[in-house]
Amino acid sequence: MTIATSTELICFLILSSVIVSGALGVVLIDNIVYSAFLLGGVFMSVAGLYLLLNASFVAAAQILVYVGAVNVLILFAIMLVNKQEELKPIKGLKIRRFFSGCVCAGLLALLFRVDITTNWATPGPKAIGEIATERIGEHLFTDYLLPFELASVLLLMAMIGAIVLARRDVISIELESTDSIPQNIINNSTDNVLLDQSSD
Amino acid sequence: MFTTLKIVLIAVVNPGLDLERSFNHLLQGMGLPSSIAHLLWLPLPMLLVLTAALIGVLVTVWLERKISAAAQQRVGPEYAGALGILQPMADGLKLLVKEDIIPHKADSLLFTLGPILVLIPVILSWLIVPFGQNLLISNVGIGIFLWIALSSIQPIGLLMSGYASNNKYSLLGGLRAAAQSISYEIPLALAVLAVVMMSNSLSTVDIVNQQNTTGLFSWNIFRQPVGFLIFWICALAECERLPFDLPEAEEELVAGYQTEYAGMKFALFYLGSYINLILSSLLVSILYLGGWGFPIPIDLITNSLGQSPNAPVIQILAATIGIIMTVFKTYFLVFLAILLRWTTPRVRIDQLLDLGWKFLLPIALVNLLFTAALKLAFPIAFGG
Amino acid sequence: MGTFFQKAADYTKDAISAGKYLLQGLAVTFDHMRRRPITVQYPYEKLIPSERYRGRIHYEFDKCIACEVCVRVCPINLPVVDWVMNKETKKKELRNYSIDFGVCIFCGNCVEYCPTNCLSMTEEYELAAFDRHNLNFDNVALGRLPTNVTTDPSVIALKELAYLPKGVMDPHELDKNSPRAGKLPSEVSVKTIENNKASVGEKT
Ligand code: SF4
Ligand code: SF4
Repeated sequence: MTIATSTELICFLILSSVIVSGALGVVLIDNIVYSAFLLGGVFMSVAGLYLLLNASFVAAAQILVYVGAVNVLILFAIMLVNKQEELKPIKGLKIRRFFSGCVCAGLLALLFRVDITTNWATPGPKAIGEIATERIGEHLFTDYLLPFELASVLLLMAMIGAIVLARRDVISIELESTDSIPQNIINNSTDNVLLDQSSD
Repeated sequence: MFTTLKIVLIAVVNPGLDLERSFNHLLQGMGLPSSIAHLLWLPLPMLLVLTAALIGVLVTVWLERKISAAAQQRVGPEYAGALGILQPMADGLKLLVKEDIIPHKADSLLFTLGPILVLIPVILSWLIVPFGQNLLISNVGIGIFLWIALSSIQPIGLLMSGYASNNKYSLLGGLRAAAQSISYEIPLALAVLAVVMMSNSLSTVDIVNQQNTTGLFSWNIFRQPVGFLIFWICALAECERLPFDLPEAEEELVAGYQTEYAGMKFALFYLGSYINLILSSLLVSILYLGGWGFPIPIDLITNSLGQSPNAPVIQILAATIGIIMTVFKTYFLVFLAILLRWTTPRVRIDQLLDLGWKFLLPIALVNLLFTAALKLAFPIAFGG
Repeated sequence: MGTFFQKAADYTKDAISAGKYLLQGLAVTFDHMRRRPITVQYPYEKLIPSERYRGRIHYEFDKCIACEVCVRVCPINLPVVDWVMNKETKKKELRNYSIDFGVCIFCGNCVEYCPTNCLSMTEEYELAAFDRHNLNFDNVALGRLPTNVTTDPSVIALKELAYLPKGVMDPHELDKNSPRAGKLPSEVSVKTIENNKASVGEKT
């Protein structure tokens, strides 16, 4: 085993253990902020895996999109909506947990089966390294043009939806109609401002 | 096939100074196998660049203090070394020996992790900064894209430290920093994209080479003036320099996400922000001001003097001039940033987002379209 | 469509002028960098505050009608107007008046709005005290006039930058009668008066 392959193996082991434990942490930890940060760690480790596979462009895109945009937005949302709320204990939590655990285990078994039965061609196609960027661009504008455009339309729809939700013209009308209440309070409190102080 | 041909061509036409090859030759001459020589070589450029970055920070801190003092008709640091040159060193030492306080109610794990997460991506980005044809750590293919990707990690660290400090000012500062860096990353990337479109490559070395065909007039600033402005504004915003220093606005947020930090952890933030400033200036000079290029092409000078550009002395001379040019351009931009700091008042958060989304983003898109059109129309001038 | 292009043109014009002003600002900052620091040896030398200097507030007890306008216009309702209602005369009787200069921001709103002009701003800025309660000035303390810098024999009075001749930065060793840059208000007004006279003469 040469130095290169052994470092690659070590890196792979470290990255995959970080991904697995991090993903478990995202699901199992109670503190939602910790979960979000762990998610960022998982995304970064996935980018590391891409790097190991010699796909540096995909790795950078992964960091840019998932860590830089998605995860930051998740964190943003969590921190802005920082409402303290007493959560009621859900009835039959244990049974629910058991069932969801079963579903997850089933999915895992399915994945394992796919993993074992598929005939993975080793070694796979040769990594193209530097020219990967050009190749990805070519593919995006030829055979994957339709999914690419559909994805952009989807994103546009999401953006318009967000803008519509954020405008909320309704709320300002409600606010205007409640003007009379503070007026009353002021009127009541200003009844005897000019106190007669000559008696003392 | 084509790219390899291009690389070979560049190597033949302009091999420049290749320190790695010389180093390997030297060690192999001493009887070491080439793999060991390569391993020994690997940490050297990293250490060198790290030292360069640190010295750059010291110089920048000193410059910032002196220039600020001059702009305000003060004297500035004076007693530590001649003209106060050692003042940044003294500052650093002070921060090093200061007590490292973690507030009682803070989340100590995230509190410690935050500054580290802010600093590491900035330092990693120095991977792609070239000081000469072969004077960079690694000429990775994704080049400038790596920097954009890495700089997007930073807001996570800022949010982390803002949240972990358990302080309203810190949290607000962290949120502002994240919002700011998300919104300015997009016009930044679009401005870079226009440059990349002209040089047909993401690699910083190719970008500089493409600008240095005819010296001064082939610099990108003349072909991309709008892109240059967009990039510079966005870079200032990403560095949280003064017109955009909302995340740490003293009057409103004490010190933003740094409020609870002291000692070495604060020093990490401080270091991070200054390294980031230098890095941004370096990248502006690489993307728009011709990087290591001298205003008159070196080849032209050597040819007119009747020298071969491949002679060792000429190569070393050219490399030195290249480094000096890069550093000179960078510090000119740092100077501009400091001047801007004392000229422009801080924008409000709504003005900041307005400028980013309603002004820079459309202009960057138009710039990109325009560049594409020009590239199709005049392939000679705009990189066919 | 026309309005759209009009808007776009206006927007571009605005953007360009904003850039121009930014460059002007940069030029000013750059110009400041060649100026050298000038030290005023403070307790022995003092700058003469400008005419509209907003220093400690002066107050005349006898003029005050206890209307409390100053309290209402103050951003922090600072002045304390202590009065009682005299039942016989049906008039307010002022007993005390005080302003706490530890809290005052010297905005001058009270001075601006006082209907009887009993408040005014002085040139005094040396308000340091050992106890912050000493900063709470009552009507007697408010009624004192500060010592003028120009009349104080122990102090060398120096002119401020705006009062120096054109191009001069250093107020030391300056001829006492050297004129300030630009025209004095009197010079300007004489000219305008003459102009007015001329225009009036033409009419009649
Ligand atoms: S506004 Fe003037 S007159 Fe009225 S209470 Fe104040 S100081 Fe007295
Ligand atoms: S100067 Fe301004 S702050 Fe001070 S007492 Fe008058 S109104 Fe209030």
